[in-house]
Order: sequence, then structure tokens, then C-alpha cells
Amino acid sequence: MTEELFRDFWWLIFPVFGMVMALIGLVQDGASRDRILDNARRELERNR
Amino acid sequence: MSFENLFHAYWWLMFPIFGMFIALIGMFQAEGRSRKVMDLIKSYVDQGKEPPPELLKMARDPSDYDMSFSAPKPRNSNAWSFVVFLALAAGFSVGYWFVQGEDYAFAFAIVAVTMGVMALGALLLLILGRK
Repeated sequence: MTEELFRDFWWLIFPVFGMVMALIGLVQDGASRDRILDNARRELERNR
Repeated sequence: MSFENLFHAYWWLMFPIFGMFIALIGMFQAEGRSRKVMDLIKSYVDQGKEPPPELLKMARDPSDYDMSFSAPKPRNSNAWSFVVFLALAAGFSVGYWFVQGEDYAFAFAIVAVTMGVMALGALLLLILGRK
């Protein structure tokens, strides 16, 4: 059953990989924007 | 219905569901973050200070995952739309050509025509938008 499933849908590996990369990109983009916000907030607090 | 039969019948659903999931997450993240950015910029301005350039850039340029319709579009957005829709129209046309004799060939034709019209629309917007 697993072998048949793999034989019919092996090509799905590629779009699924693309989806995983999109998710990782979303998380990383969010993390870098949060870092910019935290730095700006810390700078503001430091110079208050 | 076994998992194998279910998967065989509905494997294609994973793509629109994933798209909806990413759109929702991107929307919520963008909304929350833009509120924080505005609050921070306001705090800087209230204290009479110049906000850091990275903060201003974040307020000006949307994230790649920002699905909001009000987010400013990057330059060349219509050019990219034209290229993407043209590629999709070409791909589905080739697909239609390969499966012409099958019962489901009409689906490829419908998608190819739709993508072609979208490509034409993007091209018109690109040309008219430059004036």
C-alpha cells in the first residue's frame, strides 16, 4: 500500500518541499522583523 | 474509505489549504506587527527623536507574506504578474495539448484560458500604468 502510494505520488515531494521552505521563510521573516522592533524598543528605553 | 483512497481522491486539497493557512498567518502577523511599528514610531516622535531607518523601512515596505490589499505594491509588480500568469497559461496549454483525448482535458483548457486572460490584464495594467 505504501509502495503504491509512493509510486503514484512521489512527485509531491517537490511542491511539499516548496511549502516547507515557504513556512520556514515566514518564520524567519517574522523573527527578523521582531528583532528590529526589539532593538528599536531597547534603543528607545536606553535613551529615555 | 481508507486513508489511501481518501488521499487518492483529495490529495490536491493540500495546496489550497496550505495557501489559506499561510495567508491567514501572514495577515495576523502583519496586522500585529504594523501596530507595534506605528506605536514605536509614535513613541520616538513623542520624545522628539528620529526613528531608526530600519523601523521606517518596515513601516514603508510590507513583508513578502503580507496579504493585505492595502499594502503598497512593490515596483514591477504588474510585470511579475504578467510573467507568472503567462507561464501558467503556457504550462496549462501544454498540459491540455498532452491530454487532449481525455475526458478531463477541458479542465486544462479552462485554466489555460483563465490564466491567459489574467496575463493580458496584467500586461494592459503594466502598459497603461506607465503613462
